[in-house]
Amino acid sequence: MSTTPLTPEIVSQEGNAMVLSMGPQHPSTHGVLQIMLEIEGESVVKAEPEIGYLHTGIEKNMENLFWSQGQTNAERMDYLAPSSNALCYALAVEKLLGITDRIPERAQHIRVLLSELTRIASHCVWLGTHGIDLGAISVFFYCFDLRENILDLQEASGGARMHPNYVRVGGLNGDLPAGYVEKLDALIAKFPGRMRELRGLLQANPIFQDRTIDVGTMSAEDAVAWGVTGPALRGSGIAYDVRKAFPYSSYDQFQFDIPTRTEGDAYARFLVRLDEMEESMRIIEQVRKKLDTPGHVAIDDPKIFAPPKETIALSMEALIHHFKIVSEGFRVPPGDVYQAIEGPRGELAYYIVSNGENRPYRVRTRPPSLYNLQCLKGMAPGNLIADLVVMIGSLDPVFGEVDR
Amino acid sequence: MPSTQQPPIAGAAIDPPSVRPAIDDAVIERVDVQALRARLQALKADGYTMLLDIGGVDYLPREPRFDVVYHLLKMPLKAANVQQVGTPQRFRLLCSVRDGEPVPSVMDLWRNADWAEREIFDLFGIVFENHVDLRRIQMPYDWEGYPLRKDYPVRGPARERSPRPAFALKSNVQAGTPPTGRTLEALQEQVKQARDGESK
Repeated sequence: MSTTPLTPEIVSQEGNAMVLSMGPQHPSTHGVLQIMLEIEGESVVKAEPEIGYLHTGIEKNMENLFWSQGQTNAERMDYLAPSSNALCYALAVEKLLGITDRIPERAQHIRVLLSELTRIASHCVWLGTHGIDLGAISVFFYCFDLRENILDLQEASGGARMHPNYVRVGGLNGDLPAGYVEKLDALIAKFPGRMRELRGLLQANPIFQDRTIDVGTMSAEDAVAWGVTGPALRGSGIAYDVRKAFPYSSYDQFQFDIPTRTEGDAYARFLVRLDEMEESMRIIEQVRKKLDTPGHVAIDDPKIFAPPKETIALSMEALIHHFKIVSEGFRVPPGDVYQAIEGPRGELAYYIVSNGENRPYRVRTRPPSLYNLQCLKGMAPGNLIADLVVMIGSLDPVFGEVDR
Repeated sequence: MPSTQQPPIAGAAIDPPSVRPAIDDAVIERVDVQALRARLQALKADGYTMLLDIGGVDYLPREPRFDVVYHLLKMPLKAANVQQVGTPQRFRLLCSVRDGEPVPSVMDLWRNADWAEREIFDLFGIVFENHVDLRRIQMPYDWEGYPLRKDYPVRGPARERSPRPAFALKSNVQAGTPPTGRTLEALQEQVKQARDGESK
């Protein structure tokens, strides 16, 4: 791998060089990524990812929506892990409001549960599509079956499979429904066997190993220089995980390890993600034990979180609060905040500026995929085009959040 | 169509950290554009090896108008376990920039500044000096204007209405004739005949 930064001088048009546009409809680019490749024969001389095909101006829109409405937009960024995005946004706004300590414990635990479930679901999509890129079709079906169970849980809690909008500023939209815990127990029971099958299909598979070992190698120094976070950084040996480094919600109450590898290649990132799925399940099992304790799931502050709908027929104040929150939202004191969480792809963060209005003044997302994808420019030159597919897959970009 | 955005309330959000005590999530500092690059170089030498993000904010009536916000993180450059990483220090460097004033690029210090700076150029129109490849990244190449500026409208101009199709002409509606041209009575008659045909 070339470690020198790309400058125009390195690129030469002499000899057999040829420019090839890969994407934006290429199936292995996982969305709408276009890569302008300069190739000599089969090997890549320069790779320049072109993004922006999915740009929908989410950040601009959020400036014009209430704080609570912005959350629905935040969920649409990383569409494979909506709950992580919603949680990060909610935590940032809660920090600005100064109510971080007042979120009920049960809500914190359920938030942890949701973000770990989405992590597993998101890694399932990654593993399935990564397998398909390399010609292993059947992994996809096993992964999507597992993901289906998690989407069922999401539907039960939030009412929607893809964008549940269940995590809200101030808590959660209602308690877990009846029957949820039983479904969760079934998932916990099913998970170890399914993981054994997934590992059996790929981990020791010689074709898979040939395609991924020593492909897309990234040293720890390179990873830091490119701002890579998440499993890609941990695959290079640095155990930086926001859940451990800057604990949020109730992560400090649970036992879990941060899987790392030092090889830094696509196979290392694959193993890190698989281990991470098992660690996530370890957290989920611990959260499950705490779910039997009933409690409130939202902050008891009608100025921020609307009181239950049933109470508006009984109480004048509840009706007024409901009306105020629906018609003009709540106001957030001025200030700025940088809130990060560990999303499935890495450090997902929001930098939010408030000027005291009922709408955010500016919401800047730090999408992990954007920076993880960018390192392709340093990683790809000198490799084969076929390996480029492996690299994209092992970085796991989601274009909803790259382009926003 | 003019923007529906409200201008910031007078003076309140001009400098968020000065309005109220900063939320303790990072070391926060403000520098001038002239001192920006030297400060960032010093921070990198100090161990802030990872550039997390560069963000832009437009405080429209204020002068200087923009803020460019650098988020840095102290990160080891070699393999490290959880204890060695610990709680790394975060740093937030804010820099006020006037409209049209160039900002020195830090692409040579942190390679991932490339796309971050291109995005700010694309959406705010802030120019980064010595950037190798400064062009639009999210918007189309031939786009005019910078969408995240506060004076940029949220919606585009209203489109011209297409002419109404013939079946929706006013005279038809006034006569009580549905778009198909058949009256209700005619339809009822048709249904009745069909039913009669079936029973026979």
